[in-house]
Amino acid sequence: MNPTLKLALVLIIALEISFTQVWTVNVALLVVCFILMIAYRVKLKRLLWLTLVPLFFATALVWSLSLQGSASSHFLIVIFTRMFVYVYMGGVFTQTTEPLMLTRSLEQNAKLPSKFAYGFLAAFNLLPKIRTEVATIRAAALMRGQVLHVWSPQLYFKVILVAMNWSDQLASAMASHGFVEGAPRTHAVTVPLPKWNWWVCGMSLVAVQLGLFWGLP
Amino acid sequence: MKGWHVRDIIFVTILAIFMGTIFFVTGPLYTVLAAALAPAGLQPLANELLLGIWVMAGPLAGFIIRIPGSATLGEFLGAVVEMFFGGIWGASTLISGALQGIGSELGFALTGYKHYGWFTLALSSLTTAIVTFGWDMIKNGYASYHLGFMALLFVVRLLSIFFFGGVLTKLIANLLVRAHVLPSAAH
Repeated sequence: MNPTLKLALVLIIALEISFTQVWTVNVALLVVCFILMIAYRVKLKRLLWLTLVPLFFATALVWSLSLQGSASSHFLIVIFTRMFVYVYMGGVFTQTTEPLMLTRSLEQNAKLPSKFAYGFLAAFNLLPKIRTEVATIRAAALMRGQVLHVWSPQLYFKVILVAMNWSDQLASAMASHGFVEGAPRTHAVTVPLPKWNWWVCGMSLVAVQLGLFWGLP
Repeated sequence: MKGWHVRDIIFVTILAIFMGTIFFVTGPLYTVLAAALAPAGLQPLANELLLGIWVMAGPLAGFIIRIPGSATLGEFLGAVVEMFFGGIWGASTLISGALQGIGSELGFALTGYKHYGWFTLALSSLTTAIVTFGWDMIKNGYASYHLGFMALLFVVRLLSIFFFGGVLTKLIANLLVRAHVLPSAAH
């Protein structure tokens, strides 16, 4: 399915279930997401992780709400299942979507300006380098007997200087490779947006609306 | 007023990834804190205590880049990074990220993107706390807490955001001013 459309669908449903309190729809969404993840061969380890983590947080939140608050049991069930829906829907989305395809699709199908699309991509590809850099900064400080914590301004100071440096270099590199902001572009890879995608998206939304406003518990 | 250029876009994204990476280092801290507080029904407090680190990318980007929308973009991108690299909360991460960004953006917008000092940062912390708390009232059912506990959660959240998004951001900005990376904060 087209990444932009998929993202829009996931976001709309997530917003809707946040504002409504129908646990049956939550459970139905859970089942659908679970089947989709199985169908797309999501690894068992990942699936377990996606189940155990929300299980802990949902249980802790519900426990806390019932100790410190005055929520009805219906509302507690809604909150509990809602958390799983967020995680499972997110799981279906991230496990079936490549960041690269999403950015391409956002540029081509959602008309995101190309400077944003390529700017993001340039930075995302630095991810491994960024991880190493954080470790390097900490190690370099340790050698001078300084421990950099999450609350140390020096850590962020150094990180910001590196970020400025790299973004300068990357921007010049892109310019020297012929990237011109706002210039019309052709695409080596086109992301298709077939008609059936719109049907799937529309039908899913109709189904969710029916479920939410039919009067189900 | 400045507009967005490819260099700024790359900078915000790199900054967002850096913040995400730093946050992941504290991941175990959150889990331990949450687990320790959970039996007493205080698990949300762990969230409130550490939320400040989470929302720091917003004020930091807003304070350094000074283009309207930079706080929102910085925080939102942080959420995108989290979603794709190890985060499990998926769609709700994006929504919270956007809301946190808008929350801190409001502080800068209310002062017309002209004043970069304590007042703006304090205002931005307040707007972030209000917007995100409103969202948690809807999404996580905070609205059904007893009033006293709700107030406690809000105050802890505000303090955490003010410490990381206000005090720490100002200290970092001071360092950047001393290094002549940022214009001196005369106003």
